[in-house]
Amino acid sequence: MITERDLPSPGPRSGRFGRATDGRSAAAGEPIVPFSSAAKSMGGQLTIHLDADAARSAEASRSTAQVIERVQRWAARLTRHSEVSDLSILNADSRDEVPVRPTLAALLRAGRTTTESTEGLTDITLLDARLAAEGLAAEGSAGEIGGRGSRAYDWSLVPGRRGSAVVRRPPELRFDLDGVGKGWIADRALRLLADWPSAVVDADGDLAIRCAPGKTWEVAVDDPRTPEASLAVLRLTAPDGWPARWGVATSGVSIHRWIVDGRPRHHLIDPRTGRPAVTDVVQATVIAGSALRAEALAKAAVIAGSFEGLALLGRARVKGAVLLTDRGEVMALPQTLALLGN
Amino acid sequence: MDDNDFRPAQRSPLIQRAPMASPTAHARPGKPDARPMRLAIFAGGIAVSSALAAAIIRPARPAVVVPAVDTQPETPVATGTPIVVQQPIQYIQLLPGQTAPPGATVIDPDAPKPTAIVATVQAPAARPPARKPIIIRTTQSGKVIP
Repeated sequence: MITERDLPSPGPRSGRFGRATDGRSAAAGEPIVPFSSAAKSMGGQLTIHLDADAARSAEASRSTAQVIERVQRWAARLTRHSEVSDLSILNADSRDEVPVRPTLAALLRAGRTTTESTEGLTDITLLDARLAAEGLAAEGSAGEIGGRGSRAYDWSLVPGRRGSAVVRRPPELRFDLDGVGKGWIADRALRLLADWPSAVVDADGDLAIRCAPGKTWEVAVDDPRTPEASLAVLRLTAPDGWPARWGVATSGVSIHRWIVDGRPRHHLIDPRTGRPAVTDVVQATVIAGSALRAEALAKAAVIAGSFEGLALLGRARVKGAVLLTDRGEVMALPQTLALLGN
Repeated sequence: MDDNDFRPAQRSPLIQRAPMASPTAHARPGKPDARPMRLAIFAGGIAVSSALAAAIIRPARPAVVVPAVDTQPETPVATGTPIVVQQPIQYIQLLPGQTAPPGATVIDPDAPKPTAIVATVQAPAARPPARKPIIIRTTQSGKVIP
């Protein structure tokens, strides 16, 4: 586990957590300088930020450790990179009906919800198409299995006891939870931190954010072209008297990409073709009400391309969006301006 | 008070009505001519219909987005290098037989029209001076697979 001392320095500090040592909170609207704790998880880094003054540092440390441990357990059940995970067991099962435990059942329900909210542009049943894109499966199988136009699979969840469920699906249908899982885990982890009015769960770049009234979280949107550079800085401020909740997520094709047969490929599969999306959007960042929703809509905006993607985000009534195109344009929905820092 | 005070006054011969020549011709006062008002309402209806049609009906022909020419020096969109903001987008509706100018984007009239603010941001050559260090970043997840 990484502690806050291992993270980049947040700049000049007074006191251990960047606060006055008398423990008073920062002025309303001032950016929070948080207590942070991080660990390797979900193939990346999980970081938890809490608005904790020096007096609550020990409590913050315990809370973050508990949540990180819980997230590790969720991730172990949901990863496709372990043969003993609930997801891998489901994918390997040859029956038409497979019982699944509550965590996986909840995530499958969330995946179905995101398919609806993205108007079908995200789909958690495209594992084989993605493996084909990575060069790990036959190309033809991807188009046949993943391509919605050629062959669409139907699947359903039959509710069971205490949150469990039975998955009804053709045995050859396999699930890939990936980004949906990170968004879902970030939202769930934030709920575990209910004792902290201002908290952020960073699931490898997908953020679930809660903010106390009058406080501000600053979030930088990475510029994928230059390390440590930012396309924009979001200032997420809760209005006086009201706590606020956001999900901020970024998806794109410039980081997770590779070369297959001499051609560049990326991991975002267009359900309409079953192949990596052909898009002019290099990266999309979406600000929404939850990390799950933000992640799905960011991915959908990349897959759809800038023109259709912005229209989709407008219909979804997101709180903001920043898109970077392969022409070097940064595009933002108008409501994003209210969230941008100076 | 005398009871005679309540008797109807005798009408003056000056205001007595003249004997009617024809009971049917002057039974009710004459109506105003409705034709000018009908004409005015008809003309107004045409004007309103035209305005609504011009505002609602989408062009049947494709439109063209011409690259913007006006620029503004600064926006708060990015924290890096100066930004050129392409605010005004010129929409030109193509007439039959016309072709789009070079570099213009042709928009399908049936496609949805998103509203967006576009800024062209040069990739910083090096790490820019940060306004203040920010710990929390939203990034693409994953890593390059060789």
